[in-house]
Amino acid sequence: MEILESLPLEQDPNLLVGRETSDDAGVYRLSKDVALVQTIDFITPVVNDPYDFGRIAAANSLSDVYAMGGRPVTAMNVVCFPVKSMDKAVLKEILRGGLEKIHEAGAVLVGGHSVDDPEIKYGLSVTGVVSPDRVLTNAGVKQADALILTKPLGTGVLATAIKAGLISADARMRATETMATLNKKAAEIMSGYPVNACTDVTGFGLLGHTLEMAVASGAAITLFVEKIPILPEVLDAVEMGLVPAGSFSNRNFCAGQIRQTKPIDPILLDILADAQTSGGLLISLPERHASALLDDLKAGGVSDAAIVGRATNENKGIIELE
Amino acid sequence: MDTNWREGKMIEEKLDCRGLACPNPVLKAKEVIDRGGVGRLEVLVDNPAAKENVGRFLSRMGYEVGFSEEGGVFKVTGAKGESALSEVVEESISPGPDSRIVVLVGTDRMGKGDDVLGQKLVMNFIGTLKEMEPELWRLIFLNGGVKLTVEGSECLPALQALEKEGIRILVCGTCLNHFGLFEKKLVGETTNMLDIVIAMQIADKVISIM
Repeated sequence: MEILESLPLEQDPNLLVGRETSDDAGVYRLSKDVALVQTIDFITPVVNDPYDFGRIAAANSLSDVYAMGGRPVTAMNVVCFPVKSMDKAVLKEILRGGLEKIHEAGAVLVGGHSVDDPEIKYGLSVTGVVSPDRVLTNAGVKQADALILTKPLGTGVLATAIKAGLISADARMRATETMATLNKKAAEIMSGYPVNACTDVTGFGLLGHTLEMAVASGAAITLFVEKIPILPEVLDAVEMGLVPAGSFSNRNFCAGQIRQTKPIDPILLDILADAQTSGGLLISLPERHASALLDDLKAGGVSDAAIVGRATNENKGIIELE
Repeated sequence: MDTNWREGKMIEEKLDCRGLACPNPVLKAKEVIDRGGVGRLEVLVDNPAAKENVGRFLSRMGYEVGFSEEGGVFKVTGAKGESALSEVVEESISPGPDSRIVVLVGTDRMGKGDDVLGQKLVMNFIGTLKEMEPELWRLIFLNGGVKLTVEGSECLPALQALEKEGIRILVCGTCLNHFGLFEKKLVGETTNMLDIVIAMQIADKVISIM
């Protein structure tokens, strides 16, 4: 990120969203009605089954387009795989999972690139479209907005628990399905509402992404810690010391910009900082519309959605935990 | 549990987990602890995330945890049983070594004359124990006292609050078994006479409610 920041910024007026606000994707206006959305993401395996890994990695990559208020159109595979030492059938399964998600998103696979690598990595480069006046960035949070999160937290911790073999089959399947779910439905439902800002919760955890939104928008956000949806067995796993190093770094990074109105259980803090894979959308919209959107989301099958915070204008750039 | 413990000897183990990626340090520690009879485990790790994770894990497994650091290497020490109290007491996150108070509760009421009043008194007593902090170090329940630690006891909220503050609550296993209450214990850790005798020896003050 710092290296990217050291490169000179673009000056093109058609660049609607560039590197400045650390947003989910780049957005470039092509005409009055159409802007291009471009994003890329790839990850190392988080589950053992290759087909599931393919589905999850693809959903993870496609998510950034939805987070900008856009719709995916084309995708290309990004693959790192040890072709000489591993059975190609494994790669075939990964790609099969990826293709399934690309099609579910209504997009087409147009190619890809692979590199020989001892460690498996997979993801997509995705191109989508969005109307230039409906682009959703991190930076639009307004005072008195409510924040809605559409997927439960804990996928980073559970990925570690899966590696350690310390998770029940049920919890593992629930985590897998949560990660493999596209943010498509949530994005479609949200498009019927006057949403002010949106991001998806991924590598920086809920804390990190909320902080990004707060800073970019010049707002202060309060998170209702008890309302945040959490996957099964995550609390146990955190107590057992299965917190991935990345999540630990997230917590430390955010520490200076967080305030607690009352002492928050450190276990919950770790979950808030847990780096997510293919996390949900974090939607900021005027409070008076929040319950209606929540009801619509639940009715539409986004059953874990919850109102998790509110925005104010005091103490900008700070997250308060309540 | 295992032969080591019955002979009265707990083994000490050391693990070097430097250079291991998460979650391996926790897994290695788990392997050692699952073998049983480990009274003291020292784990070396090279990053703060691993230090916190191993510390959490050991604490969850009932060990008293201490940390130290030297030149970027973190040592996480977990101890329980005989060696715990004598060696780790200095490192643990409890009140200063100057004044450790042990409260021994041998019955489920206080004083003689009226038992109903006695039960009210002991509940009040336990509720007021927090005033002894930070010197309050261990609460030990024996004989009829174990009844205060089980499901249905009105002392539970106060006891759980004390436990959260870091005061260790030891409940005699033999006594729980005698009253058929082993499964009903809701606060504290099951202990044995050796732990109890050593706690009394190390304490600066022992207050008994018999």
